[in-house]
Amino acid sequence: MKLTVSWLRQFIDIPTEDPNELVEAFESLGHEIENWNVIEPTFTRVVVGEVLEVEAHPDADKIRLTKVNVGSEVLDIVCGAWNFEAGAIVPVAVPGAVLAGNFEIARREIRGVTSNGMICSEAELDLGEDAEGIMVLNEDYPDAFGMVGEPFEDVIGLPDVYLEVGVTPNRPDCLSVYGLARDLAAFYEIPLKDHGISVAESGEPTTVAVTIEDAEACPRFAGRQVRGITVGISPHWLRWCLTQAGVRPISNVVDASNYAMIEFGHPTHAFDVGRLGDRILVRRAHDGEEIVTLDEQTRELTSSDILVTDGEYPVAVAGVMGGASTEVGDETTDVFVEAAYWDPASVLMTSKRLGLRSEASARFERGADPSFCHLAADRVAQLLTDIAGGSPAPNPVDINPGEITPWTIEYPLSETDRILGISLDSATTIDLLNRLSFETAGSDPIVVTVPTRRPDVRRPVDLVEEIARLHGFDQIPDTVPQGPGGGLGRREQQLRRIRDIMVGAGFYQLIGFSFIGSHDLDRLGFDVEGPSGARINLVKPLSETEGVMRTTLLAGLLKAASAAIGRKNATTRLFEVGIVFLPGTGKLPVQPERLAFVIAGETGSDWLTEGAGFDIFDGTGVWALLAEKLALENAELRKAASMPFHPNRCAEIVIDGVVIGAVGEIHPNVSEAFGISGRVVAAEFDLDALLLESTPWQFDPPSVFPPVVFDLAFAVNVQVASSDLLQAVRRGAAGLLEDVTVFDVFEGESIGEGRKSIAVRIRLRAADRTLTDEDVVPIRKAIADSVAKSTGGELRGEA
Amino acid sequence: MNAAANLRDRMDPLEQLIQDAPGRIDAAETIVALDEIEADTVGRRSPIAEARSALGGIKDAADRGAAGKAINDIANDLTSQIAARRQVLEGAEVNARLLSDKVDVTLPGRVPRRGTHHLIQQTMDEIVDIFVSLGYTMVQGPEAETAFYNFTALNIPETHPARHESDTLYLDYGESDEEILLRTHTSPVQARHMEVNDPPVYIVVPGKVFRADAIDATHLPVFHQIEGLAVDDGITFADLKGTLAEFARQYFGVDTEVKFIPHYFPFTEPSAEMHAYTQGRWIELLGCGMVDPAVFEHAGYDPDAFTGFAFGMGVERMAMVRHGITDLRTLIDPDVRTLEQYR
Repeated sequence: MKLTVSWLRQFIDIPTEDPNELVEAFESLGHEIENWNVIEPTFTRVVVGEVLEVEAHPDADKIRLTKVNVGSEVLDIVCGAWNFEAGAIVPVAVPGAVLAGNFEIARREIRGVTSNGMICSEAELDLGEDAEGIMVLNEDYPDAFGMVGEPFEDVIGLPDVYLEVGVTPNRPDCLSVYGLARDLAAFYEIPLKDHGISVAESGEPTTVAVTIEDAEACPRFAGRQVRGITVGISPHWLRWCLTQAGVRPISNVVDASNYAMIEFGHPTHAFDVGRLGDRILVRRAHDGEEIVTLDEQTRELTSSDILVTDGEYPVAVAGVMGGASTEVGDETTDVFVEAAYWDPASVLMTSKRLGLRSEASARFERGADPSFCHLAADRVAQLLTDIAGGSPAPNPVDINPGEITPWTIEYPLSETDRILGISLDSATTIDLLNRLSFETAGSDPIVVTVPTRRPDVRRPVDLVEEIARLHGFDQIPDTVPQGPGGGLGRREQQLRRIRDIMVGAGFYQLIGFSFIGSHDLDRLGFDVEGPSGARINLVKPLSETEGVMRTTLLAGLLKAASAAIGRKNATTRLFEVGIVFLPGTGKLPVQPERLAFVIAGETGSDWLTEGAGFDIFDGTGVWALLAEKLALENAELRKAASMPFHPNRCAEIVIDGVVIGAVGEIHPNVSEAFGISGRVVAAEFDLDALLLESTPWQFDPPSVFPPVVFDLAFAVNVQVASSDLLQAVRRGAAGLLEDVTVFDVFEGESIGEGRKSIAVRIRLRAADRTLTDEDVVPIRKAIADSVAKSTGGELRGEA
Repeated sequence: MNAAANLRDRMDPLEQLIQDAPGRIDAAETIVALDEIEADTVGRRSPIAEARSALGGIKDAADRGAAGKAINDIANDLTSQIAARRQVLEGAEVNARLLSDKVDVTLPGRVPRRGTHHLIQQTMDEIVDIFVSLGYTMVQGPEAETAFYNFTALNIPETHPARHESDTLYLDYGESDEEILLRTHTSPVQARHMEVNDPPVYIVVPGKVFRADAIDATHLPVFHQIEGLAVDDGITFADLKGTLAEFARQYFGVDTEVKFIPHYFPFTEPSAEMHAYTQGRWIELLGCGMVDPAVFEHAGYDPDAFTGFAFGMGVERMAMVRHGITDLRTLIDPDVRTLEQYR
């Protein structure tokens, strides 16, 4: 809602000149001032002048010589405009004046005659668009007669203050100058001025007859017939106000309707009676019915739309837009001004469907005041009388088929304390409500009569809001209740640990978008039939690259890594913890929480890390770290081959026999498709198994006895996974094994075709004694037997 | 040869030794050379050792004692000379080794690699922790949500503009008539929680939310909110004010001033916005209000028996205000130069 403070002052004597105080007052009422500024005149030394004489120029046809009284003196001014004669009251830029654009006015010779200043047009004064003629104030600003010699800005009312008020959707009553003035009056505890609406009726009674077929669609309908108007340009003051309110002036008939809407909040529509006829019928549209609206578009209607018809054909889409067939034109002399209350939900649906949101539809959608319809029609009629020479007809239309009347709420005083935490007595409460022009009866409960302009006030709690904002939120104390506790919960604690481990391992966390492009799933090589390849589409994606829900975190991470590499980051280590979306059998998609990471880009280039590359083992190492720090038992890696991973450098991650994800190097085709060259290490897995409740780990006191360390090398088939061999070692060594590591793997002639050597270093230690050969020899044999049994490995000797 | 003569024979080389040894000891340049000299002079085959072995032949105890003492004096003298020289040589050797270790200590060190938690994560965790310290439980809910929980249960009417496709991202999913969407706020978690939990309810709900907004400096289609809800016997607007003011003090600093101005939300009544004075200006921080009775009715709570407050804040906004970030797009930047600043 845009307006000026001077407009507000027409309805309330604001007790402050300081805009900052006014802004605060609005704010405490719940009307945020989104923007404000002082409107200064863009000119100096322009005064009100009276044209005394106008003569032809001796040597020129297009300009005239004038004598203008500017109060202190009479100036000879040469003027090129012809839209005035002697007697005109005009703005005069006297010598020394400066106009917008730093245009200085000085005495100068024009065709041999001295001109002592300039008579100005609207455009020259930055007060409008009209640059054809000069401003003639006689009719537009009658007060200017008495102001000859005074600064011209005083006539316009400058400087002024421009305000942009953020009216919340529940307050349609404040979408007007008068409505905001009413709230301000309640705040300042001063009276609101009378609206000043009055109509001087004359001529024949109203001839247009109105029938409402659907009272729910149109609970209230008022109308004023105004005859004898002349369509033309509106007076400057009205155009200026509209412009400040962000409404473009069109013609006096349209401007009158818009002005009344900004002033009092109720939209109206004017029909050309000559084209309408004498009948109006309000009804719902038939499916498929059509109307050509004011913008010359043919609109197809549905049965939820409300129509104003001439009895047969539609002449307006109610509350949304008028029809072209009854549009007011230059020749119009006789109009019918409709001021109705339309069903808000219907107007909302219609305006949205037709894509026709306007200042008017916005007001009807939120709920205009049904009790104000006849006054709105009157106000427009009054304006048409004043600015278009119209004569409002007697017997205006005012019908109330919906019988909307003010409603009452019983308000128990205890409600204030219950909701706000402060007690207000009956007198204080009644005073607050009365300030908002809510009528009250009784003292506890107070019976409150709510005016029809406040559709948002229906329940006691709605009155609490009114009481709170008028009494002041700052009057309510601050207390801090303590909840019963509950904390983060195991799941969140584990998630935080997991993120900490990743950060400690050198990874940067990313938080990606939850949607990706369908193309990304193709690039990852996912099978469209598989769960990761399934598309859950957005109905209306923001762009083609964001059209499907992510089934993997890797798409986002690979794109991010690619972008980071493009910015010449060195090795990029990124991880994300987040939800993916998979098709399931329930109402909602399955939304498991996952962890994914990538390592990509050039390896380090500083003196310490030059040439230190990375490969799948950097990925499996990160998994090992997580498994260790989270004390995951029964976690293992198995050779696997699934997209988007390298077929020979990928392991699936298994916990308790269930595959939860994979780690490895990204398939070169995939990384290339994402614009990354070189190896890319990645992993992605479900976190659910890592987030379960588990028993706390138990302390294991380190043994004080020395270990026995020995190495064993096994010759095995190249297909044998080292993880299987290590498992066999663990099984064989049983309780005394402290650690086993692989320290050498090689293939070669000495081992034989199709075979490889895996050498392991084994550390045994007992909790209660120093191990002897009698302990170690059988264990060594048991290990060799276990490995032979499960992998076919042969002991090659002890390194 | 008698014993005394024998000893004399043995003592003669000692004279030579006393003459020669000090010079040789001083001339030794390495520990190895000194070890040789030590063996030559006082070792097992040295003239000293030979002289000692000859002592047994002296019958007279006094003579034998005197001779032994003389030998020991010589031996001790030589031993201490060698020890002194050894100390010098060892010091030099350590110095040489230290010298060979010389490096440019100002070369960049091996920085242990450590990444960062995303700023949004840090901010969410910090804010959640503040409310957990006030006795709240953290709960979360699904990101793909039904229109019922996202709108209807929160008193947002069928006709509300927020439901429109221009504001909300809907999913083409499932067979049922119910619309599935990406939640536009974390509030559906409130509704879900109240459905299965009776008061008292004190919850804090962080999470991702979605709007149909194109990316620019002030809009992202995916962002984060933290929602809070307290429902109990006797919760008032004063509790709301006090709790959120306490939050602002903990997050922005103990001196942070706040003010509440009336606002409108469909799910609270009365509703307010909290502004905080931080970094020299008033900044709108969050929306809040007393839970609307209609929301309680959807949840099956008796609106006459319980009251509650709710609030919702944008995580991005909190982080941007505190860390001087002016463009939302910073928060989706994968560039390490951005990420490493999240410390």
